[in-house]
Amino acid sequence: MSAQLPANLSAETVREISDARDEPEWLLEARLEALEALDALELPDVIQTPGRRWTNLEALDFESLVDPLNQADETTRESPEGVVVLPFTEALDEYGDLIEERFGSVVAPDTNYLTALSAALFTTGTFIYVPEGVDAEDVKIRAEMNSRSLFSHTLVVTEKSSSVTILEAIESGDSVDDARYFSNLVEIDAGENSYVQYGSLQNLDEETYTYSLKRADADTYSTVNWIEGNLGSRLTRSDVETELNGEASETKIVGAFFGHDDQHLDVNARVWHKAENTTADLVTRGVLDDEARSVYEGVQDVGRDAWSTNSYQRENTLMLSDQSEADASPKLIINNHDTEASHAASVGQVDAEDLFYMVSRSVPEEQARNMLVEGFFVPVLEEIEVDEFRDDLEELIAARLR
Amino acid sequence: MSSDQDHLKETDTEARFEFKKEQKAAFVAEKGLTEETIRVISEDKDEPEWMLERRLRALKQFQKMPMPTDWPGQPDLSEVNVDEIVPYIRPDVEVRGGVDDWRDLPDDIKDTFDKLGIPEAEKNALSGVGAQYESEVVYQNMQERWEEKGVVFMNMDQAVQEHEDIVKEYFMTKCVPPSDNKFAALHGAIWSGGSFVYVPEDVTVEMPVQAYFRMNSEGMGQFEHTLIVAEKGSEVHYIEGCSAPKYSAFNLHSGGVEVFVGEDAHVQYSTVQNWSKNTYNLNTKRAIVEKGGRMEWISGSMGSKATMLYPASILKGRGASDNHITIAFAGEGQNIDTGAKVYHNAPETKSTIESKSISKDGGRTNYRGLVHIANGAKNSSTAVECDALMFDNESTSDTMPYMEINESTVDVAHEATVGKIGDEDIFYLQSRGLDDDDAKQMIVSGFIEPITEELPIEYAVELNRLVELEMEGSLG
Repeated sequence: MSAQLPANLSAETVREISDARDEPEWLLEARLEALEALDALELPDVIQTPGRRWTNLEALDFESLVDPLNQADETTRESPEGVVVLPFTEALDEYGDLIEERFGSVVAPDTNYLTALSAALFTTGTFIYVPEGVDAEDVKIRAEMNSRSLFSHTLVVTEKSSSVTILEAIESGDSVDDARYFSNLVEIDAGENSYVQYGSLQNLDEETYTYSLKRADADTYSTVNWIEGNLGSRLTRSDVETELNGEASETKIVGAFFGHDDQHLDVNARVWHKAENTTADLVTRGVLDDEARSVYEGVQDVGRDAWSTNSYQRENTLMLSDQSEADASPKLIINNHDTEASHAASVGQVDAEDLFYMVSRSVPEEQARNMLVEGFFVPVLEEIEVDEFRDDLEELIAARLR
Repeated sequence: MSSDQDHLKETDTEARFEFKKEQKAAFVAEKGLTEETIRVISEDKDEPEWMLERRLRALKQFQKMPMPTDWPGQPDLSEVNVDEIVPYIRPDVEVRGGVDDWRDLPDDIKDTFDKLGIPEAEKNALSGVGAQYESEVVYQNMQERWEEKGVVFMNMDQAVQEHEDIVKEYFMTKCVPPSDNKFAALHGAIWSGGSFVYVPEDVTVEMPVQAYFRMNSEGMGQFEHTLIVAEKGSEVHYIEGCSAPKYSAFNLHSGGVEVFVGEDAHVQYSTVQNWSKNTYNLNTKRAIVEKGGRMEWISGSMGSKATMLYPASILKGRGASDNHITIAFAGEGQNIDTGAKVYHNAPETKSTIESKSISKDGGRTNYRGLVHIANGAKNSSTAVECDALMFDNESTSDTMPYMEINESTVDVAHEATVGKIGDEDIFYLQSRGLDDDDAKQMIVSGFIEPITEELPIEYAVELNRLVELEMEGSLG
């Protein structure tokens, strides 16, 4: 099934985008290929149980959401010394060959309908390159979305024995009256023995529909840690994934979400263990208020050759309102017995005894509840290495509780 | 263990299941599934018109519905061609509906059940026994004292005649409609045999009743229907066992189970499934539980080539509760896809699901479960625990739970672990003088103990023997 697209979306549109940015021929070709693939591609998989579809992506009206030629954003990039942090287009001049080699190597444009659409139309994004042996802290990318639709593509390449911590934040700038669409693809190619922490904070206005797919390819001895914070958007579909392709590679996928009003959050964490001695830890904490709804799928896939695997997953959802709804499906797919794997999921309210204890210590009930909710996010906050990111997330959570 | 139970230990377990009898039948339906076949079966059973109509409606459903093919990791059903199946074989016995004395059965059939140890178990531990051979029940008996209290335990075909009102009301109407899935529809079209259990208000049937299902012929399908109605405050434990000798062609088993648990009633439904490894076991089992009622599903799935089975409880009344305990054991060539479904549709409902699985020699086990808590089901709780043990790198174990929570005042917990047998555990047992095989055997027995604990001693022994049999020769 393909969604209905605006009439003005054609090879011409894609050429126009590419020409305006003076892109090399190979990128135009890649965009056109992605455009052509659209017809045969499906929307991302959504969990379906008898009588219920957990997220209704089919209802998205792409015809009105997508306005390919009027994309606008304002993005600031802070980079410490020794690391290359450039707008994607600018990077093509100097790092064209490297980008040509790695673009689409982790997230193939024809992964699904929405990735292909994104590859065909993206106008913003960042290229981050960490040379061999360089340790870089606090790369900060702050983007503001100023148009009806915005497509972003970020590529991170870390060379041998390098390390980097990254914060990417996205929020809404100029307001647009109608619904908006934000698409964000992030590819991380983590070289041997390198370390990446990629933190992402999405706080778009609640007229926005967000699709985000972030995936890493982890080489031998490398570590890729994801922190994924979702507070904004009317509907969020977020997939954060790591392929542990190299021996002894590791990943953590840490997520936090907080939904209110009628927000719909579809957050997913997936890891594929494809080599020996790999380790994964998936931690997601979410809070739902009002009529918000969350959907979570966590997948730990241990391949036939992934001897001596350790894989853990925890997902906890706190419901603050009777009208909210939490769906969860933590999955274990195990093909090698030399594995220690577990997952746990829970859904519940703020613990009544905890609340009672605090009230008995004369903390007003509402304040006590808010403190417990803030405390609930601590396991996520503790993982964050970019201080500014931690502060921002803490502030946004506190603001929502007020 | 008393000497009466020793026969279970002494006989060679494998030989007890793996024997074939020459097919002697009074009536064999044509292969395949057509309206004509169904009319013939219905006529052979002298059924009322409404039952024939339900069968034909179900057939239409079956023809309309697609085969399930896109579930992740599901068994390959491409071999299951219903047109290759003999849907109905009436065994050659004098009395339709089951004799009440084993001695009245033809020798080959009596010998079959003797070997399976059914008459022996009846003497020791059961309130009643039904035994089905091919498509019909050939033996049915219950202790008199239960009959006096109004308990009904008879074969389903007979119940259609003798308890028409109840059957008409409950049969595939409220609990498992034929439209539920393709194989429920198939079942609704060609069901035959099975049990009808009715327990009147406040009656507690102290010892379990058992039904045993045996498929003897190659290429046949067995489609027994079980309907249990437990009135307010009553209690009953129903056990089903099943087996078949192995053939090269496939067999199909597609049973339907409907349980109505009345207010404050308690029903336990235990299954020891040991179909031969050419059998596709595609069942639909569901219970509706009223206020304060309790449903327990206990199942051990050892046999079959492929199983797809997710016993379901619909907790309809306040305070209703459910307990699922399942164990799946998949060896070479087996794909055992089981799980549980629970719908919490009322306040203060409670469910616990405990699933254990073992996979080895390339076998595959899947846990597929759904817990749904509806808005308004306040103060409900559910706890799900899945543990999987894997023996080698050729095997697969998947855990796929789904949770849908629409109510905030709930307590929902899900936990799962997968791993190999602990080297330290084996080392410990070896240091106490056990050899490697015995150590693994013992660890597996311990692993499945939560299930065996729930069964009468005869069945616990049986289950342990089956596990031992599966383990034999595979270790080293």
